[in-house]
Amino acid sequence: MARNLVIYTVVHQPRRIKLPAQPIPQGASIEDITRCLFDEAMNERYFRKVATQCYYPATESFLGLVRQGLKLSIGFSLSFLRQAEAWDPALLDRFKALVAEPNVELVGVEPYHSFLFLYDQPLFIQRMRWMRTEMGHIFGRKPQITDTTEMCMSPVLYDALDQAGFTGGLLDGRPWVLGWREATHLYHYSGKLKLLPRHLALSDDVGYRFSNRSWNGWPLLAETYAHWLREAWGDFVLIGWDYETFGEHHRYDSGIFEFLRRLPDELSRRGAQTRTPGEIIAMHRDESFYLPLPGWPSTWAGSGGMEFFLGNSAQQAIFQLMLQTHGLAKLTENPELLDLALWLGQSDNLHLIQWFGRGGAEAEVSAYFTPREWWDLGPTGIIHEQQQVYLNFLRAMEPFLPGRTPAPSKQLLSKKRELQLAEPGIETRY
Amino acid sequence: MSDGRYGLAISPQNTIFVSLCFEGPDVYSTAGGLGTRVTELTETLAELGYTTHLIFVGDPTKPAIEERSGGKLILKRWSQWISKYYLSGVYDGEEAKIYDYSESVPPHIYAEIVEPAVSQGKLVVIMGEDWHTAEVMSRISDLLHWHNLRHRVLMVWNINSLMSLHRINWGRLNYSSTILTVSRYMKHRLWSWGVNPLVVPNGIPRRFLEPVEESQYQQLRQIAQQGNPDRLVLFKIGRFDPDKRWMMAVEAVARLKYSGQPVTMIMRGGIEPHGGEVLNHARHLGLVVRDVGASRPSPEDCFMLLAQSGEADIYNLRFFVPEEFVRACYRGADAVLANSGHEPFGLVGLEVMAACGVAFTGSTGEDYAVSFENAIALETDDPDEIVGYLLYFQQHRDELEKIRNAGYQTARAFIWEEAIENLIGKLGYLARKQSLVLD
Repeated sequence: MARNLVIYTVVHQPRRIKLPAQPIPQGASIEDITRCLFDEAMNERYFRKVATQCYYPATESFLGLVRQGLKLSIGFSLSFLRQAEAWDPALLDRFKALVAEPNVELVGVEPYHSFLFLYDQPLFIQRMRWMRTEMGHIFGRKPQITDTTEMCMSPVLYDALDQAGFTGGLLDGRPWVLGWREATHLYHYSGKLKLLPRHLALSDDVGYRFSNRSWNGWPLLAETYAHWLREAWGDFVLIGWDYETFGEHHRYDSGIFEFLRRLPDELSRRGAQTRTPGEIIAMHRDESFYLPLPGWPSTWAGSGGMEFFLGNSAQQAIFQLMLQTHGLAKLTENPELLDLALWLGQSDNLHLIQWFGRGGAEAEVSAYFTPREWWDLGPTGIIHEQQQVYLNFLRAMEPFLPGRTPAPSKQLLSKKRELQLAEPGIETRY
Repeated sequence: MSDGRYGLAISPQNTIFVSLCFEGPDVYSTAGGLGTRVTELTETLAELGYTTHLIFVGDPTKPAIEERSGGKLILKRWSQWISKYYLSGVYDGEEAKIYDYSESVPPHIYAEIVEPAVSQGKLVVIMGEDWHTAEVMSRISDLLHWHNLRHRVLMVWNINSLMSLHRINWGRLNYSSTILTVSRYMKHRLWSWGVNPLVVPNGIPRRFLEPVEESQYQQLRQIAQQGNPDRLVLFKIGRFDPDKRWMMAVEAVARLKYSGQPVTMIMRGGIEPHGGEVLNHARHLGLVVRDVGASRPSPEDCFMLLAQSGEADIYNLRFFVPEEFVRACYRGADAVLANSGHEPFGLVGLEVMAACGVAFTGSTGEDYAVSFENAIALETDDPDEIVGYLLYFQQHRDELEKIRNAGYQTARAFIWEEAIENLIGKLGYLARKQSLVLD
């Protein structure tokens, strides 16, 4: 029976695109392109809502618990951190205080929460190293273990992370990935990178089913859950959740905060201890097991495969456009445009349209993350306008390609304007 | 100003106006009569003492905010960050501007205008103009409703043109605003869209009532008649839009000429492609066309340019014509051909009347025209109708003078101050329906 428990949470807020797609003026500057692509007002509204419901109360809860001995691992997307820095520096300070606690380990996340590793591995490696440096600047710590995006893992991704210098990676403990193996052991694939599987069932009991009154485990009490954790067979149990589980996915009145508050005591009563991923790797480094990773990437979303993000035609169309915008941005040799393309490559832009042409639980999860403001467009309207955002960006980037004719000078524009506007006169009254 | 008829006193002390329009006073922002309308309307409101905001798509090189009329008129040039990429005019980059305008104006109106005004116990009247502002009106209404301020605002949306009506969510707009229009003709046309607008006629500036100097219009006639006192003088001004019936006008000129009645038409069109068709047709009919070019001439320069152009049947003015010269043409011509096939209001005809001219109008939106009383309302697109009436008046000069005088009296009733009085009356009615109580 597992005696060691790893609690992992990830904090992320997407940089949502603007729908309906805002036309980008011909010859627009990068600054003006940016304001047409993203709905920062909406992002701020959602950020503040989640901050009130989750980030503030959950952070205070975790701060209290880690100071009482709980060990926690936490990851942040830079997408979230940029928003916190811009809209709520006080909140960012609370997260910094949390990460500064000795019982907390910082986990690396693909900075924009994108699927860059699917189509540009060299840049992905570069970005992950940059992320590690950024985390150092923000939190004073450089993560050694990484979640990437949506806990994705594949042979290529493993090798990329190994090259990037990380010591550990998280992956979802899916049966089709682990096969006969248990999710409660430390693994490795082809290199030095250690792999820590997330316990699927025990994680989803809290992250997904906690508020589900039709679930036969409801209501889930801390003592019950601690018992389940303790009864798991193996070396350790890693449970992973969205940070927003506490207060946003499960509202305050669901009892989630009370559950969290009581869990450490219940674990302690049963002889279980919380650990950080780094501690687990240190404890079991020499006895990690070989895990043959499937060629297809796995994820903690949906059924554990990329079909959650790329399974319907709408998602496939957007993904193709992501590739197109990424490719064209690289051709411009303009780092600012490449940055915009990376933002447009956020996995969220695929996640939130998983519902297209589908029903069921996974579609409901996806629809939950689709901004309610978008539904006025209707399902097909959302798909069309989302595609239009990428198409607009493609067109807007073309003037930036090397060798393209530069825009006319200001003087010439003024002359053109004077010529064009001089003739219309008083007859325009009529 | 107050309106006792409805029991509600709307006054500069308790009311703020907000005008929403793509067009405005800038040259960049003028593409048709709409810009003139909102400019003159808002200027007059400000002169009457109302604090008036005009939010329009302005020249990107001018200040974003400008105050005029002693601070009572606040011009807000919107979407300049887009306009700087589209320098051809207000409708260049139209879709991008509509998006930005619809998205960004409502929060501004709520935070910067309505909320402060309501806190001071004031009424806010928001007036949208034409289809570009239909969406923003609905969004403003939604936002104000969200903030529990909708009941403190009167929202009216005016339609001046039949363009792009298919792009309007009529049900939503009709719910969020009261729809106005400028003539009974337009009112009836809008019925087919399921709405019944209230009519508030357009207006003209008070300065247009100033008498035209006799020396000016006599000089014009002398030049145009080319030494023949029996030569008819016609004038036509407007965009080269087929609906302005330019072809009908040049046909009439040709028929007059070939019937033995000498005639000169002075015309000023726009830069629209139809102009080429019109001029080619005139030449094809055997009319002598003289293009008169210049760069921003003064009224005196205009007369000199005409005199130096030589004999012609048609003088095509290819320069910005000053208002003073236009009014001299109105007064000096035997007829001003404002013979549109469709006019929401028909501003030319009214301005002609204000100058003691004789307007040959269409017979659609020109509510002010009573045929053979204060104008001549053409009922067909037959050039012979113009010819027949002109020849008739050659024999009945006294009737022509009666029409000139009656037209002037009619025009006096349509100055902007009077139009605003009409508007205030409608607003009083709407405020009563909305159970509005002013502090």
